[in-house]
Amino acid sequence: MTTLVRPEQKAPPPHKRKGVTQQQRPLWLLTPGGILLILIVLIPLALAVYLSLLDLDQYTLRRWIEAPFIGLDNYVESFDSGLLHSIWISVSFSVLSTAVTVPIGIAAALVTQNAYRGRGLVRAAFLIPYVLPSFVVASVWRTMLQPDGVVNAWLSKVGVDGGLWLSGPKSYWTLVLVEIWAAWPFIYLMALAALQSVDHEVHEASAVDGVTWWPKLRRVILPYLRGPVLLACLLATLNHINNFTLPFVLFGAPAPDDVNVMPMLVYVTSFQSLRFGLSAAMAVVSLIIIAIPLYVYLRAVRLDVHEEGGRR
Amino acid sequence: MGKMRAATALAGATVLAVALTACGGGDDSGGGDGKTLNVLIGANTQYPDEFQAWQKDISAKFKAQTGAEVKFETFASANDELTKIQTSVVAGSGPDVYAVGTTFTPTAYSTGAFVKLGDDEWKKIGGKEKFNPATLGISGPDEQNQVGIPWVSRPFVMAYNTEILKAAGIDKPATTWDELGQQAKQMTKGDQYGLAIAYKDNFDPWKFVWGMSAQAGNPLVDGKTARLADPTVQKAYETYFGWLAQDKVVDPAAVGWTNPQAVAAFAKGKTGYFALTTTTAANSLNQGAVKGKWKFALLPTVPPGATSRPANGVEAASILSGDNLLVADYSKNKDLAFEYVKLVTDQEVQLDYYKKFGNLPANAAALQTLSSDETLGPVTEAAKKSVATPFTGAWSDIQLALTNVAVQSLPDLAKGSISPAQIESRVAEAQKSAQSALDRAK
Repeated sequence: MTTLVRPEQKAPPPHKRKGVTQQQRPLWLLTPGGILLILIVLIPLALAVYLSLLDLDQYTLRRWIEAPFIGLDNYVESFDSGLLHSIWISVSFSVLSTAVTVPIGIAAALVTQNAYRGRGLVRAAFLIPYVLPSFVVASVWRTMLQPDGVVNAWLSKVGVDGGLWLSGPKSYWTLVLVEIWAAWPFIYLMALAALQSVDHEVHEASAVDGVTWWPKLRRVILPYLRGPVLLACLLATLNHINNFTLPFVLFGAPAPDDVNVMPMLVYVTSFQSLRFGLSAAMAVVSLIIIAIPLYVYLRAVRLDVHEEGGRR
Repeated sequence: MGKMRAATALAGATVLAVALTACGGGDDSGGGDGKTLNVLIGANTQYPDEFQAWQKDISAKFKAQTGAEVKFETFASANDELTKIQTSVVAGSGPDVYAVGTTFTPTAYSTGAFVKLGDDEWKKIGGKEKFNPATLGISGPDEQNQVGIPWVSRPFVMAYNTEILKAAGIDKPATTWDELGQQAKQMTKGDQYGLAIAYKDNFDPWKFVWGMSAQAGNPLVDGKTARLADPTVQKAYETYFGWLAQDKVVDPAAVGWTNPQAVAAFAKGKTGYFALTTTTAANSLNQGAVKGKWKFALLPTVPPGATSRPANGVEAASILSGDNLLVADYSKNKDLAFEYVKLVTDQEVQLDYYKKFGNLPANAAALQTLSSDETLGPVTEAAKKSVATPFTGAWSDIQLALTNVAVQSLPDLAKGSISPAQIESRVAEAQKSAQSALDRAK
């Protein structure tokens, strides 16, 4: 019997890197990006914070530099002006929309994963809600959801009184529904991209092992989707929160209290009440309130896939 | 994050505007030759081609008179206009002349960025006398502080279906709100309704409420005091909602209507009155089933619950509606600006503008020539009996608060029951925000 003895290996000589060291990295190459970042993000942000401390409205706008400095008064007032209510509506609506669109998007991606006749057509059809401009989507839904619109006409045929979709408590669910309708293809696209990145060998290996579809989906395929879908969740939620066109066209301004989302509140405060200082304060508060859970989420799901790079 | 974007945009615009100040500033040489006058004016989506042609025509006339060019810049919405005013005001440069909606004039005035009109300025544009006196009502807070020069009027009136009224045995349109409600009841049967009201419109509701209150002697603003929590306002809302909730003289679908939808509904020929419209709706009506069967009438001027106007009531047939021209304080071409204003407020140009676009002249002589027209009679009368909404920078907030009462009441309205207590509590909220807006007014 012979045993294979592994030849003793010498530790390789410490590899001297020929490339740049950490200290020598050409950070100056970041300058153009850095300047842009300062110009289009940091300065306006700083200005927004500054404006939020001023009593800036139509009376003082002309000499805005001299607008009275009122400290945190705008912040105090913003909490009295329904800001928290709006943040709650925005956040709940966004999270809800994302939660519903994720399974729909993934399911749609799975359905169009394997080749079959007409798959191209199905894929194209799935994208329709996504490529329609928000304005068009909202206008069409608004027309359909009129008290005497087609939706209520259908509902009455099955004996249901549709009632008001664009005012009152139900308007919230209208907003969620239309947002879901318009936004799920985004999750679908991200999930589809992730599915395409599943190696061929993985499918073969599962087939060799005789795995049935459900365990394969759960233990093999879905883990591949985790990263992209979690990222999609984040982007989608932020998109929902930012969506101004949809509520504005669906409900008009002033909006019913049930759908007075943050962009609507800031819009009305800025451009109908002309309280620029107050709306800047609202913007800053919302930014902070949303940035905290966002940070926690980013830490929790570790979207940073290049961890090795990050660890250096 | 949405907030952040909005704030960034706002701040960005401000930075940009400040930066532009440095490169702005026109020439200041004498004479019109080689100069350009910039005019900001609302886009006309209904007649875009005719509007282009009109601009060309005016430019040519202006060039012949002064040697200077007119450059028109259009805005698509009130919001666009406001943004333009904001950036120009901050930057101290931009259009020389602005066409501004009447109800927005107080806000524009409050920025202090427009030329106050003294005797000299009025003389330059042909004198105050050339205007329909009512249209001057919203030029400024008082005679000494006027900034707005009336350009066109769009008074509000009712449209009524002559056949339906006749069939119901009504020989002339209502002149009091109670009478209107009564006639509407007479006409409502089957799929035919007495009134078309745009309950979900973002502007209509406050116009009703203001009108009824003013007729009852409450102009809503008394100096620095908001008077929304007042029985006149309560009564106005009760009447306005009551048409649908109690009297059932309005199609229940109207809780979802904006003004154009109400026009469309009336145009089908199944409604007695369309309660708030202007001459610009005439084309739509003439394309519908109601063609040849409708007429304009003055809105009622006797408040709800009364048979005659109280002593302190105002004969407010309409809000003072239309556009004013404002000359920017920072303009380096003020003389040219006033020459332009003179040109477009002259009788001939005003009549031509009316023929093309349906906006009534602010020029008194021009308006007079139209009053003999049978269809337009009530409209020209409404133009003369238009009353200005309170001249305060807080008005946009008050208007918003009044509309909000209607917006938040729609679900109750749809259910067919809205109690006086519900109205009262919503009005109380509106009173609060109106008062706080007035407190801030400088």
